[in-house]
Amino acid sequence: MTKEEILQQLNDIFRRVLNNKLTLTYDMSAKDVDGWDSMTNLMLIGEIEKHYDIHFKMREIVKLANVGELCDTILKKIA
Amino acid sequence: MEFVSLPFAAGLVVVFVLYYLFPNRRWQRALLLMASAAFIGYNSLVHLAFAVGITLFSFYAGRLLARKINRRSAPFILWGSIALLIAVWIAARYAVGVFPLGISFYTFQALAYLIEIYWEEEPENSLPDFALYMLLFMKFLSGPIERADQLLPQIKKARMFNYEQTVRGLMTLAGGAFMKLMIADRIAPSLDGVFVDVHNATSMQLLQVTMLYPIQLYADFAGYTLMAIGIGQMFGFRLSPNFNRPFTSQSTTELWRRWHMSLSFWVRDYVFTPLSASLRQHGVWGIRLSLLVTFIVIGVWHGAGIAFAAYGLFQGLLVVFEQATARQHEWFQKKAPKIYAPLMTIRTYVLFALSLLFFRLENTREVFYVYSHLFDGFTTGIKELKLGLTDFYWIVFGIAVVLMFAAEWAESQHSLIDRLRRANPLVRWAAYFVFATILFAFGAFGVENFIYTQF
Repeated sequence: MTKEEILQQLNDIFRRVLNNKLTLTYDMSAKDVDGWDSMTNLMLIGEIEKHYDIHFKMREIVKLANVGELCDTILKKIA
Repeated sequence: MEFVSLPFAAGLVVVFVLYYLFPNRRWQRALLLMASAAFIGYNSLVHLAFAVGITLFSFYAGRLLARKINRRSAPFILWGSIALLIAVWIAARYAVGVFPLGISFYTFQALAYLIEIYWEEEPENSLPDFALYMLLFMKFLSGPIERADQLLPQIKKARMFNYEQTVRGLMTLAGGAFMKLMIADRIAPSLDGVFVDVHNATSMQLLQVTMLYPIQLYADFAGYTLMAIGIGQMFGFRLSPNFNRPFTSQSTTELWRRWHMSLSFWVRDYVFTPLSASLRQHGVWGIRLSLLVTFIVIGVWHGAGIAFAAYGLFQGLLVVFEQATARQHEWFQKKAPKIYAPLMTIRTYVLFALSLLFFRLENTREVFYVYSHLFDGFTTGIKELKLGLTDFYWIVFGIAVVLMFAAEWAESQHSLIDRLRRANPLVRWAAYFVFATILFAFGAFGVENFIYTQF
């Protein structure tokens, strides 16, 4: 899977969880996205883990800076 | 030592002059450490002993944790340190008899520091720098609760005297003094008089003090914070903001992003996020449970007992309710935006005021007494509603509150300090003069205690 494909899939997950019509880019972070806050973040993480059947470490959850890093981390985990 | 006191003002001037006399990092650090030690130990050396003890412990625990980070012992070191810090904090508060000033604030800084190292951040190598991060006098008593990655890099630089920065610091300090002396301390004795014996107050008085208390607490604590930030600025530090116009919030969730922000962001990052992450397989119910626990932590951070836990639970239930009804709120907002904003702002304020009774009275039975008597009848005469304050000072208080909120609104549009700094020197100096005169003429001097120094 490519990073681009992951971004596409994340976009669908984000739209479903946050219930809006956003378009994700790599450099976006929580402050750029309406409704992406400390509460919905964990719902997003939960959905992403289910979708890819992966598990994030606590450090990854608290330290991920933006969508690009999230894609990279997912790529590494499914490789 | 209090900010609004003669020894503090005199000490501040001396330290400030010495600080910029030799603008080299080692000197400035040594001076600030000595000044902080004097500030903390001024009333009792026990306060200083606690603060230094926790500082040394956290510094060496952090180094040990960093060395063992990928070993199996790491979680034990982390949890052991957390348990010890919390045990000392609880014991100091409730067992020893002397309550070490600032302990709730620096214990939280120590906890965050260790948790960050566990999350693979680098530990601090210099003990004097770390000690200053923990003990820096202007934020020692009541915060802001600073993060290591925000404050430590600032400590590592030498600071040259900067006139502009000093003036801005003084103006921020004056703004804080205005909130404290003109609003909080002016109204405090009147509200205290009712709270101390709610059973002898009339229903109207109870309603009045319940609705005024958030303003007193805000002017007191946000005033203190502005003073701390202003003093920090004078010494070249940028401390974290703690309040961002909380009473404009349209929900309790929003209120907690604007009220005591250094505490609420702390619990978000070090309680809510780890807890909800470990409960994430339970979906939305895991998040709701984490929210409740997080707000109860905010409650009991202020003090032990059912009342403080109830204060936190009250907030937590409101935030969970808002989270569960987010779609309905959105629908209402779209249907009637003009009604929604004022209605929700008032609702948020009133609920916050009601919840603060747990915090203020520290006794759930008294709180329920007040709740059940708020609307008994509106028969009180105007004389009872003066609560011992003269007509003149009610007017001064009222004008000061309006000015405070107006200044905050103006500040949110465009920096007031910027505007004043660009004004014609005559206008500028006239403004300073009038402000100082008003403060000294009408301020309530001699009260000398901040509500949050008890935590």
